[in-house]
Amino acid sequence: MKKGINFLVFLLFSFSSLLAQDSVDIFGYFESQAMGTAVNNEFLMLYSNKLRVDLKSSSSDKVSFAANFDYITYHGQTRWNILDFLPSDAVAEVPPGMEAFYVLSFENRHFLDNAYIKLSFKHFDLTVGKQQISLGTGYVWNPMDVFNIKDVLDPTYEQPGHNAIRLDVPLGSMYTVTALLSPEDNWGNSAKLIQLKGRISHFDYSLTAIEKIWRFHDYMRFDLDNMNFLELPERRKILGASTAGELLGLGVWAEYAYSWMEVSEDFYELVVGTDYTFDFQTYLMIEYYRNTLGKTDYTQYNLNDWMRFLATEQKAISRDQIYLFIQHPATDLLNIGLSTIYSLSDSSFALVPTLNYSFSDNVEIFAYLNLNFGSEGKAFSRKMGNGGLIRVRVYF
Amino acid sequence: MKRTMLLGLIVLLLTPGLFSQELTGEDIILKVNDLFNFDTSYSKAKMTIVTTSGQKRTFISESWSKNKGEKNLVRYLEPRRVKGQAVLMLNNADDIWMYFPRTQRVRKLASHAKKQKMQGSDFSYEDMGSGDAFINDFSSKKLKDEKMEGYNCYKLELTRKPDGDVSYSRLIMWVIKENFVPVVIDYYDEDDPALWQKRMVESDIRIIDGIPTAMKMVMINKNDNTQTEMEFLEVKYNVPLDDKVFTERELKK
Repeated sequence: MKKGINFLVFLLFSFSSLLAQDSVDIFGYFESQAMGTAVNNEFLMLYSNKLRVDLKSSSSDKVSFAANFDYITYHGQTRWNILDFLPSDAVAEVPPGMEAFYVLSFENRHFLDNAYIKLSFKHFDLTVGKQQISLGTGYVWNPMDVFNIKDVLDPTYEQPGHNAIRLDVPLGSMYTVTALLSPEDNWGNSAKLIQLKGRISHFDYSLTAIEKIWRFHDYMRFDLDNMNFLELPERRKILGASTAGELLGLGVWAEYAYSWMEVSEDFYELVVGTDYTFDFQTYLMIEYYRNTLGKTDYTQYNLNDWMRFLATEQKAISRDQIYLFIQHPATDLLNIGLSTIYSLSDSSFALVPTLNYSFSDNVEIFAYLNLNFGSEGKAFSRKMGNGGLIRVRVYF
Repeated sequence: MKRTMLLGLIVLLLTPGLFSQELTGEDIILKVNDLFNFDTSYSKAKMTIVTTSGQKRTFISESWSKNKGEKNLVRYLEPRRVKGQAVLMLNNADDIWMYFPRTQRVRKLASHAKKQKMQGSDFSYEDMGSGDAFINDFSSKKLKDEKMEGYNCYKLELTRKPDGDVSYSRLIMWVIKENFVPVVIDYYDEDDPALWQKRMVESDIRIIDGIPTAMKMVMINKNDNTQTEMEFLEVKYNVPLDDKVFTERELKK
């Protein structure tokens, strides 16, 4: 409570002093969201309210600063027992006495999400601070993006900021070299990235090399010192390539990344996608994703696989998946859509009907249903819970 | 002297149509195209969408263009919901990139995205990217002159060429004789040349930097019974614009 008041005082102080400066733009949104899921013959509800306040200042063409604060409160079912959603085989692997640790807790939080300064020189841009890092051309899955994992049900939702120093050097109008360092406690543990992006004909291409410590967990062992599951940090070196362009009138994109692991087995990820807009305004997209870290036989999914997938430490539990999305503007203000995520490896799928309505210039309503059709133990099993989400967002 | 006059008369008689100076459809469309023949431009526009239920949505954007619209950059200023979103179109909108400021992601779009409505309006991206589409993608035929919106106009029928890369099978265009501004354009379905889809009406024509400029455009969608009004708040021609403006670096600013 005291923290919340301090935060509000800080915000008010920041606003009043910043408003005095003409060059600072203050904007953002308020978002209210209700999410429900049917599990164990119960319909559990989680409500959240989020206030995002953005500041942007461009004191000159060469210097700009941007930041945003997020303040989120949760209500309703704020503690979810993860074991309720897992197949009985995986639950049976839980070490005796550790059941209470498999809880997903939603606690009120506020944090500085992004805060960076961008210096634009004649021949390069330097961005320092917490910033968005978006890598790859995939819509739902980005093999090259080791910083973020998108939500397959809501892939365009904004990602958290990452602390980094980024250098972008344009080479003519067609090519850019990017170097990025995301500092950790020492140089060896810091993430490093170098990327060459370019354009040939109507295609964009990129080549990327990344080194990062991958911090996944062993969800069958508990670290009492940190009061968390045991962390298994491992050095990961990635070489990736991506492209996006047009072929025979279709939008096409592809992304590939090979990961050399320090301890675990090496693996690769591949995304291939295509999209098209019909004359009657209907938009269709298909994206295929392969992740050799995922398994081909669903009976081999173990507790760690499930937990790493649900904790968004790895992008998929099954090896091959297809995402299909179709959207049509029902009116000027209402878009209706349907996405399907189909696991080719275990033949389970989820249907996600979506709705996007522009209520007024600065108010939009987004809703989806999430219906799983797989049998127990599969990636999109009915046991994962059928439910939905409705979100109202007011921009200011 | 008499011999010279006689020779001149013979030349005139042997040159049909020289007295009438009758312009062909191709001549007229070239003159229309010349109107967009400025090297660079900057504009600030307000777009108002009126839905079937009478609701309105308003957008304000800034645009920069170069090489007769071959390069275009559009950045949204209002409403807050889309502030900072930007679209870069190169090669007459054959290459399109969209920038989303909250995720700072740039997405390359294929040319089919040109068919999509701009922010749900009755203008598609293709309608806004001009370039040389009228002369490169269509062949023009002059029809009988007509009066339209109070102006004496040439009436043209533009039919898509077999290799034309546009989403309309044909256009009917009324061009003001005095200044070659296309005051009304009717757009017909991509597959059915008889199916009338949209009508664009231009008005409030002002001379800016010596160029007749329609400050207001209304696109009426005949199928959906909706309309979108585009009002230019500011227009400048031949402004100094470096090629660097039309790059991903600038798109993300």
